[in-house]
Amino acid sequence: MSTPKWVVTFQIYRKKGNADPHFDEFKLEVSPDEYVLDGIERVWAFHDRSLAFRHACHHSTCGACGMRVNGAEKLTCITLIRDVTQDGGVLRIEPMRNFPVVSDLAVDMGILYTRMEMVEHQPVNSDAKEAIQPEARPAGPVGEEEDYIRLSDCIECGLCISACPISGSSPEYLGPAVLAGAHQHGIKGNEQLLKLVDSEDGVWRCHSAFECTAVCPSFVEPGWRIMDLRKQVIGERFKRLFRGSSPKIIDTMEASK
Amino acid sequence: MTGVSKTSPLSRAAKWFDPRARTISTIGFILNRITALGLSFYLFLHLIMLGQLAQGPQAYDGFLATVHSPIFVFGEVLVIAAGFIHGLNGIRIALNSFGVGARYQKATFLVLLSIAVICSLIFAVRIFTV
Amino acid sequence: MNDSRYGPKTGESTWLWFTKIVTGLLVIVILIIHFIVNHFTAQNGLLTYADVVKYYQNPIVPIMEIAFLVFVVSHALIGLRGIVLDLKPTRAVIGAVNWLFSAVGVVAIVYGIWLVLTIVSRGASS
Ligand code: SF4
Ligand code: FES
Repeated sequence: MSTPKWVVTFQIYRKKGNADPHFDEFKLEVSPDEYVLDGIERVWAFHDRSLAFRHACHHSTCGACGMRVNGAEKLTCITLIRDVTQDGGVLRIEPMRNFPVVSDLAVDMGILYTRMEMVEHQPVNSDAKEAIQPEARPAGPVGEEEDYIRLSDCIECGLCISACPISGSSPEYLGPAVLAGAHQHGIKGNEQLLKLVDSEDGVWRCHSAFECTAVCPSFVEPGWRIMDLRKQVIGERFKRLFRGSSPKIIDTMEASK
Repeated sequence: MTGVSKTSPLSRAAKWFDPRARTISTIGFILNRITALGLSFYLFLHLIMLGQLAQGPQAYDGFLATVHSPIFVFGEVLVIAAGFIHGLNGIRIALNSFGVGARYQKATFLVLLSIAVICSLIFAVRIFTV
Repeated sequence: MNDSRYGPKTGESTWLWFTKIVTGLLVIVILIIHFIVNHFTAQNGLLTYADVVKYYQNPIVPIMEIAFLVFVVSHALIGLRGIVLDLKPTRAVIGAVNWLFSAVGVVAIVYGIWLVLTIVSRGASS
C-alpha cells in the first residue's frame, strides 16, 4: 500500500516592500507525515520562486523556521501536517507577530538577537547549573555531572515573542525568550543583568498569559523562568533592604526619575 | 497586523482580547484584565455614589431605592463575580511570582476559576431570591 | 544602553509591583473579615441610612473601611498604570499618568476618610 496522500490548501501570507499584504492559495498533494515546512518548500520549488521564508537545519536546532500555522506559532520543520489539518483542509501560513516583516514569511529578528546578547545568553551552558528538568540529564559516571556541557535549550526562534500578548502591544517589553535567557545565565552577582530584568520592561511586565511556555518548541518554559526570576529579584531586593546601604538600589530608583 | 506596528493604542489593546489559537492561560489574562477595568470603574463609581450618605437620610434612602431596582442588582452580581474571578486569579499570580506552583498554573487556574464560578452562582441565587 | 528601543527603563521596579501584590492580598483578607463582621453585626443587611449609621458605631467598621479603601485604591491605580504601560505610552504620557493617578489616589482616600468620619460623627451625636 502506498502512503496515503492528502490534498491540502496552503494559504500563504505575501508581502513585498510597501505593497499591501495578501494571501496566495496553493493546493498541494502532501503526505500527512510530511512537515509543514516541506509543503512550503514545495510551493517555492514548483509554484512560486518569489516566496520568501527562512529555514536552515530542518531539525529544530537553528530556530529559523518559526511561523504561524492556522494562527498558532509553530516551528514548521517539526510540525507534522497531520497534527495541524486534515485531508482537504487548509493551512494558513503567516509570519510571526511582533517582528517587522522583511518579505512574505521572513521577519527581522534583529531585536531579539540584540537582546539575547544583552542578557549574555550562551549557546552552551554547564548542565550542573541548569535546574530545569534534572530527569532529562544524561546518566553519567557518579561525581562527573559537573563536567557536562550541553547546548542551551533556547534556539532563539522567537515563537514565544510572537505569542506573547504583552510583546504584541508593547515592543519595549524584553519578552519571554530574553528573560528566560537572563534566568539561565543567572542574576546572582550580575548587577547589570539584575537592573535589566528588574525594570518596567523586565520581569514585572509579564501578565501571566503563559503563551510563551505553550508555544516554545524547546522546553525552555519561559513562563516558569520569568516567575522564578521574579522570586530571585524579590529575594535580592529584600536582602539588600535589610542589609541596607547598597548604592545600587538607589541607582535603580534614581534612574526612573 | 504583523511587525512592531504603528497602530493606535486601541487596536493594540484589542489584540489582548483575541483568544484565537491561544491556550486557557490567555483566558486567565483576558479575564483578569476585563475584571480589572470593570472593578476599577465600579470602585470609583461606588465612591462617588456613597457621597449620598453625607447628604443625610432622605437622599441616601432614595438612593438605596434606585439601587434595589433589578438592573442595579444585576450589576451587583457582575461586580461580585468579577471580584471572585480577579481575587482568586490574583492569588495564583501572587503564588507563581513568589516561585510557588508556576509549573502547575494551568491546573491552578482551572480550579480557582471553577471556585469563582460556583461562588458567584451561590451569591447570584441568594441575591435574587432574598 | 541609551537607545530606549533596546534599553530598559528601570522604574516599575520590585517595590511598586510588590505593593500591588500585597495590597491585593490585603483586600482579599479584609473582604473576608468584612463578611464575618457583617454576618454577626448586620444580619439583616444595611437597608436604611439609620442602619448604616448604627453599623459604623462599632469601631472595627470604620477602621476596616478605611484600610480597605487605602488598599483597594492603591491596588487599582497601580494596576491601571500597568495597563497604560502596556499600551506603549510615550515618556510624557506615562509621566502625566503617574501624577494624575497619584492625585486621584490621594483625593479618593482623603474623600473616603472624610466620608467615614462624617458617618461616625452622625452616629455619635444622635
Ligand atoms: S524560549 Fe522557546 S520559543 Fe522562545 S525563542 Fe527560545 S526556544 Fe524559541
Ligand atoms: S529549520 Fe532549523 S529549526 Fe526549523
